[in-house]
Parts: sequence; structure tokens; C-alpha cells
Amino acid sequence: MALEIPKVSYSGKIREIVLGKGDKAITVGGGTSYPFYLFEGQMPLKPRIAMEVYDSPPDDWAPTALEPFADVAGDPVAWAKKCIDTYGAEMIALQLVSTDPNGENRSAEEAAALTKKVAEAVDVPLIVWGCNNAEKDTEVLKKIAEDCAGRSLMIGPVTEANYKQVGAVAIGYEHTVIASTPIDINLAKQLNILLGNLGVPDGRILIDPTTGALGYGLEYGYSVMERIRMAALTQEDERLQFPMVCNLGKEVWKTKEAKQSRDEAPKLGDPAKRGVLMEAITAQLVLAAGADILIMRHPESIALIQDMLNDLLAA
Amino acid sequence: MSKIICSAAIRGAHNIVDKAEQKYQEALDKWGPDHAVGFPNTAYYLPIIYGILGVPVSKLGDVRPVLEKCRSLLPPLVSEKVWLPYLAPTLEAGMATFFAEEIIEAIRYLEYPDFYTKQEDPIGGNIWLGAADDIILRKRGVEFVDGTAPGFAAILGAPPTKEIAAEIAKELQEKNLYVFMCAENNGVRMSEQLVEAGVQIGWPTRLVSFGSDYTATVFAMGFATRAAMSFGGIKPGDFRGNLLYNKNRIFAFAMPLGPVSDEWYANAAGAINWGFPVIADTPIPEILPTGICTYEHVVSNVPHSEIVQRAVEVRGLKVTVSKIDIPVSYGPAFEGERIRKDDLYLECGGGKTKAVELTVSRDMDEVEDGHVEMIGPDLDQIKDGSKLPFAMLIEVAGRQRQEDFEPILERQIHHLVNYAEGIMHIGQRAIMWLRVGKAAVEKGFRLKHLGTIMHAKYHQEFGAICDKVQVKIYTEEAKVDEVLALARKIYAARDKRVDRMTDETEETFYSCTLCQSFAPSHVCIITPERTGMCGAYNWLDGKASYEINPTGPNQPIVKGECIDPVLGKWKGTDEFIFKASRQKFQTASAYSLVHDPMTACGCFECIATILPLCNGVMIVNRDYLGMTPCGMKFTTLAGMVGGGEVTPGFLGVSKHYIASRKFLLAEGGLKRVVWMPQMLKKELEAKLKSRGEELGIPNLFDIIADDTKGATEEEILPFLEEVGHPALTMESIL
Repeated sequence: MALEIPKVSYSGKIREIVLGKGDKAITVGGGTSYPFYLFEGQMPLKPRIAMEVYDSPPDDWAPTALEPFADVAGDPVAWAKKCIDTYGAEMIALQLVSTDPNGENRSAEEAAALTKKVAEAVDVPLIVWGCNNAEKDTEVLKKIAEDCAGRSLMIGPVTEANYKQVGAVAIGYEHTVIASTPIDINLAKQLNILLGNLGVPDGRILIDPTTGALGYGLEYGYSVMERIRMAALTQEDERLQFPMVCNLGKEVWKTKEAKQSRDEAPKLGDPAKRGVLMEAITAQLVLAAGADILIMRHPESIALIQDMLNDLLAA
Repeated sequence: MSKIICSAAIRGAHNIVDKAEQKYQEALDKWGPDHAVGFPNTAYYLPIIYGILGVPVSKLGDVRPVLEKCRSLLPPLVSEKVWLPYLAPTLEAGMATFFAEEIIEAIRYLEYPDFYTKQEDPIGGNIWLGAADDIILRKRGVEFVDGTAPGFAAILGAPPTKEIAAEIAKELQEKNLYVFMCAENNGVRMSEQLVEAGVQIGWPTRLVSFGSDYTATVFAMGFATRAAMSFGGIKPGDFRGNLLYNKNRIFAFAMPLGPVSDEWYANAAGAINWGFPVIADTPIPEILPTGICTYEHVVSNVPHSEIVQRAVEVRGLKVTVSKIDIPVSYGPAFEGERIRKDDLYLECGGGKTKAVELTVSRDMDEVEDGHVEMIGPDLDQIKDGSKLPFAMLIEVAGRQRQEDFEPILERQIHHLVNYAEGIMHIGQRAIMWLRVGKAAVEKGFRLKHLGTIMHAKYHQEFGAICDKVQVKIYTEEAKVDEVLALARKIYAARDKRVDRMTDETEETFYSCTLCQSFAPSHVCIITPERTGMCGAYNWLDGKASYEINPTGPNQPIVKGECIDPVLGKWKGTDEFIFKASRQKFQTASAYSLVHDPMTACGCFECIATILPLCNGVMIVNRDYLGMTPCGMKFTTLAGMVGGGEVTPGFLGVSKHYIASRKFLLAEGGLKRVVWMPQMLKKELEAKLKSRGEELGIPNLFDIIADDTKGATEEEILPFLEEVGHPALTMESIL
């Protein structure tokens, strides 16, 4: 008797979400099996990578991370263009760290003006990520949504604290929301329900399950992502059938290990490769857990992941 | 529906449709059927006609079929002799009214292109703004979605004086409502009154002077109709969807000020279609039963001083309090703060004086929201180091109010008062203890501010169940005694109610999946007789939590058919567990530790497990650090039991559940219990003794072994044999 390999029976499908507008618009999602389980279902749309662009010149980056962008670090528009022209970025993620009230505390107006400039300069889908201060993000994201009406941005993080305000402008000005919850499947589901109740169309919701870096709690996020996918695909939980975004570049490159020099950490190997590999491994793992969109920093780690994706998805 | 209202509304609708036909004919003669017609800068054509009928009117010729539709909607005039249910035809007449008025207003734009300013503010002497364009709609509509502006008041006419007009406008602004104004009362218009009173009008102040005529009502209704299409994803022509969206989400109402003409009635009838009730200052007939609107439809003869509050109640609008106006800091950081003797300014309760706190629910008209009253001396009238009797009586009212929620609200007083810097609160009910520090008094804190806190926080956190809150604080002995007497009566009734509630009497249980963040497959089933194992959630908490947060971790479970009354299994709970454990578990018993025991999270107050030698059960609480007869300490046991797993023979339980009649029913109940730490026994002494009586074993409390009798099965068994513990002769537990 021939051996029959047992198969998982899937009843759900991840929603297909269109990101951006025009020729360079991208569709993500659509999976009908666990990630890369091509022997059980389809993964018709490849996971995508957005390259990070920062709104102010980074002052504490590892030399390895800064090197590719040293010439554009003070100019987000040039930075975004370099990502696309030189590194072939298919998406851009604008990180609005300078709006943080505990940091530079730049105003919503400044952030919106900058976002508009970047949005006008690039034709690929644009993610706009706030400073993770719900109150400030509300103000900033509202202004951005209004000023960039009709540009189909992906805006986040949208949390339980500000989903009404940010959700409302996303509906009114036609953007996609990134629903962010702290590593908890039920909270993720609840926020998606709340956004739906508010009136945000299902075609404009992405999940940010919260991602930790390798060695910094990645496994917690991994488990929750797995569970979100299991609920979405095998348990007919339709409020979890949305693509997931992992904002991981930021997390990896802020770790001690990614920044330490050879002198500071002689046993941790070549610092020029260390951060790149940490970022690539983190990305690889969240892809295995079900990520659809990765926000990454280093061109080399991105190249490694693109290679991996091409290999795994080659039929 | 009142016949008077119906007759008038239908008459008014006829007049308005006649007028629209006449205007249309004139316009057609002048400009011809291909002439463009519409409101400025909008993609929604004439929005009510577009939203409700799905008909895009862009040129004069498009108007004709709409007028025909009006005619077909219009019921015949009400005859003196016929008594029929008039609701449906009247509502249709109201709808026809709006279509006709949109046509009238659209033609006005043709005839007088500069009649309206067509922007957010008045220009020079022209205060009439006309229809909101799409930019205004989007900018302002967002506020309707995110709740910064919950809705609007559509005001027709004007109050008697400009001072009253300014007062009403201010009150509505304070509730964050938009004020949409049109029409005249004896030649006086509210917009004009506001200008005279020096009040700034226009979209930025939310006082929108739409138009001078009653037909400008359609600008308000058109705004609402477009909001549903723009923000609710409602398709043009989906009238049902549009009207429901407005009923459920836009907290709007019509407020006719002055004598209500037939035309006004027609407009009011139209507004009711959208779920917007009518609150009038004149003595027109009332329509009180619920139907199309959430609550009453027409409420009349309301004095101007009460009209805003009444409107808010009738429409079911929730009050939002964003700031707690007290002179000290407020937040969870101050919860654990102690006030030491040296810092003490005032002390109440704690055995030193009489003190009580009580939350009771009242009828809507018995509570004046925001009323805080201090009866007796406050902190500025007493000396440093004083002691006073104290009573805080919080009266709440709400459309969703339930007496069952009183104790839950009351229990919040403790942490809500503690959040204030410089205030210490301990205990509850009539054993409460309050200390106010010197520093707080220096900053200006007064006892009255406790009322401010409770009013604000009840609204903020429990808005779903309380619409109105008033607080009275007493420091006069005689008054305190009165409140105490009332409180004792209420406490007794509450305790009795909870005591009488059983798993058989209630059809709905509640789930708790709060702990799934760390125990992914854990599902707690909370029944009246089985509180959550953490001890923090009883059945009433589950119920209240669901009312307050319907998408939250406490969901109602209709228990359905009982599968096994002894194990505690129901069809409904099993189905829920299967789903909520994400298919990991198919069933759980509410009353058994051996057969399909419930999963445990990790927050249980106690763990119960089997002692095979004694043929009984032991219970150990979290605070007990010593060894137990099962050979494991609490911490070791906790590692085995938690994490959302099922571990037959082990069960997480709350302290309260131990004294429940349903405690381990499947294993024989409380008389199976052979060992508990002495500290736990002491804590539950009264309850255990009364359960022992109930079970016919009056000395049950004394024959349960504890750590003074031994910490191994071998050590306690002789004691159990000596006292003749019932477990020894019960059927084998394994």
C-alpha cells in the first residue's frame, strides 16, 4: 500500500488586498494554505518587502545599516528614490520617528508635508508608520490621510486607542489601515471587528501582529502569527483573514547585537554581516509564520530574502 | 401615530410637492430640459434623491420622474371620518417632502446663483451657506464617524429671544453636536438671532446657517444621506441601508422652535424615516412608542432650559466627559498611594466614623446629570486632623440600566477614588475607609471633587450602561445615618438576589477568554454558581463587561439543552468551547475535576486536586507557600494545571466557588474536601460553616484537615478517620 501523506484541510482563504494605485500597485494575500505549503494549497501572491525610509537623519545606526544610505540620509525623498532606483524596492515604508513627542516632536503638519512630498516622488505603494504614541499618531495620521487624499496609503499603527479617529479618515480619504495589536490573537481579531463596525471596508485592513527581533521575543510574535493563520485558514475565522505586516527592520537594527562593533563583541563575528543576517533570519521566520508584507532596512538582507522567496515559490 | 400629526404632515407634503412642481415648470419653461441643475461641488447630485432613489439628477429634465415618484408616494389627504393606521403613508409623505424640497432648493441655485455663500462661513451680510460641498462633507463627516461630533440638531424656526438662542446653541456645542439651522418663526430665524447675540456662526463653530427657508432642511438631511454613502459604503438607491446607517450612527434630531406648520410637520415626518426624533418647544401631540426611532418619535412642550438635555436623552446620545476637572493629578499611578498619620487631613470610616458608599439606579427623570452636591462641612470648613461621618450616594440612570449592574459600578468606587493623588480609599460598602492628605487639601481638593471624579469616570468607562450620573456627598451624621439605612436595605436585597440566582434559573452564561494571550486554548465558562477561577469575574461582571464592550473577552453563551446536570455540561457551552478554544477542546464540565475538567489559564486563586488515599479532594490557595498532601507546592501544581490545558484530576478554582452549591458536584461536592491550608479555611469560615449546615454535616468545617494536622496524606488520614470524614465512605473518586 502506498504511503499517503496526511494533508491539512483548509476552509479559509486570506483576503487579497490591493496596495497603492496605478501600474505599480501590488496585491498581497490570497493564500489558501500555510505559508509555502504549496503541496497543500496555493500561495498565488508573493510576500512583498517594503524598504524603510526615515523622516530624519538617523544618529545611532550601525555603520553597516547606514552605509548604503549615507548619501541620502537627510533627504527622505532622495532616500526613497534610491531605494527604488538602486535597490529595486517594490514598496516604501516611511517611518515617522521624528514625530515622537519624547523625541524631536515634529508637528503633524510637517509630517504631512513630508509624506506628501515622498508620495508624489514615488510610484510604488507607500506605507506610513507613526511613532507608536497613539495620541500623536492620531494627530499625524489624520493630517496625512487628509492631505494625501486618494493616494491609497497604508497608514499605521492603528490601535485600539485611536482606531476610531484614524479609521474614520481612512474611510473618508481612501487609505488602508494597519491594525496593530500587542501579540495577541484575540485583540487582533477584536480590532478588526471594531474597524469593520466603524465602516472600514474589508479590502482596506492589514494586520500588524507586532514583531520582535531575533533573540528579542520573536518567538512570541511567531506563535501568535501562526495562530492567526490557523484561525484564518482552518477555523473559518473571517475577521482574521487579512494579510499581515511585520515592521521588523526597525526592531532588528535597534538591538545591541546589531550595533556592536568587533571590539565591543569580539565573539559575535563580522559586524558587517551580523546585522544583515539577523535581519534576514528574522524576516525568514516571520515569512514562515505567515507574513505578507515585510518592512526591512538593509539591501543585502532584502536580497537574501528575495532569493529565498524565489526558491521557495518556484513551482 | 397621532392623527393630528399625520393629517398635518400629509397636508404639508402636498403643499410642498405642489410648490416643487410649480417651480419645476417655471424653470423648464425658462431653461429647457437639458439645463444643468444640482448643488455645487458634489458627486452626489441631489443627495437625498440620489441616496434614497438612486436617481442621479443632473439636468432639469431628470426632475420629472422624481416628481412623479413624489406623487405616487403622497397619500391622499386624511379625511375627518376615516381612522386608519397612518404611520406608513405619513412617512412616505415625509420622504416625498424631501425629494420636492431638494428640487426647490436646486432650482433656487439656478434662479439666484448667489443666494448661498457656497462655503464654510458667511460672506459679508449673507449668512446663508447652502448645501455643504464634498470637501466640507468629508472633513466634517469624519467627525461623525470617529465620534468627535456624534450628530446634529436640525433646528427649524427660532426661540423667543436671542439670549435663549445663544444658550441653546452653546449647550448643543458643548455636547459636540452640529447645529443645522433653517426656517423662520414669525419672521425670526435662529441664525440671525445668533449673529445679533454676537455668536460666530459657520461650519468652524459647528453653528451652520443652512438657509432662510424651511426647505433648507434638506441640506441637513442631504448631509446625513451623503455621510452614509461616503463613510458607510452604502450604495445609491439602497434606501434601507442608508436610513439604518443614520438611525444607528448619526445622533441627529429635529428641533422645531415655534408653532409647527403643516410644512414643518411634513419635514419632521421625513426626518423620522432617518431615525431622527422630533423635540419641540410647543405643545404638539407626542408620539412616544418606540418604532422607527430608537426611543420616542415626537416629544413636545419642552421648556427651552431643558430642551437640549431632553433631545440628547430621546436620541440616546451618550455623554462624553474628556477631562476630570479636579485640582490634583489623577491616574493609576496614584492607586497604591498611602496617606500616613502625619500627612492626614481628614479621615472617614475605617471604624473611626460611620461611612458608606452606595451606587443605585434611578429612573431617567430622577437624575440630573452632572449634579454634584455636598451636604455638610467640606474640607475647607474643618480643621486639619478631623474625622467626619461620610456617605457618598451615587445615583445613575440609563436606558440600558439594570439593577444588576449597581454592585459592579459601586465596586469601581474603590479604584476610581484611589486614582486621585493624595486620596486613599480602602474597603467598600459600609466598611469603606477614606483618608485625605494635607497636600491634596492645599492644592484645593474638596470632598465635592469625589463627585466630579465619579461622574466623569462612570461616563467614560461605563457609558454603555449609564446615561446620567448625580452624586451626593454627606458629612452630617443624621444624613449619613439615612444613607446607611438605605444602603443596608439595598445590600441585603442584592445579596439575596445573587444568592437566589442559580445555573438553572439563568439561560445565558458568559465566557472569559481574557487570558488567551498566554493560555491560547483556555476558555472559562462563568455561570451564576461558578465564578471565574481568578475570582475577579462573576456572572454579573461577565454580563456587564459584555454590555460595555460587546466585542470583548466576555461573550454571552446561551447554555441550551442540558447534557449532564451533574457534570455541568450544556450543548451551548460545548459548542462555544469548541469554537473559542479554536477546535482544541470539544467539551468541558463546569462541576467536575475528574471528567473533562475545564481548562485553566494560570490566574486561578486556588487549585483543587485528588488525594487518592483519603478518597478526597484537597484545595490549596496561591498565598500558601508550604507543602501540601499531594506532594507538591502551589507553584509546582500551577505549572501543571495552567496554560490552557486540560489536566484531569486538577482544577483551577476561585475561593468563592468552593462554597458554591455546584462546587465539584460530580465528585460529591464540598464533603469531598479533606484538606485546605488553615489560612484559606479561616478566610472562608462563615461560608463553609453555612454550607456544612446545608449539607447536614454541621461540623464539616472542623473535620476538614489543614496544615496544622499534616502536610502528607499519611499524616492527615488518621485525623480524617478519627473525625469520621464523609469522604472516606463515599464511592471511590477514581
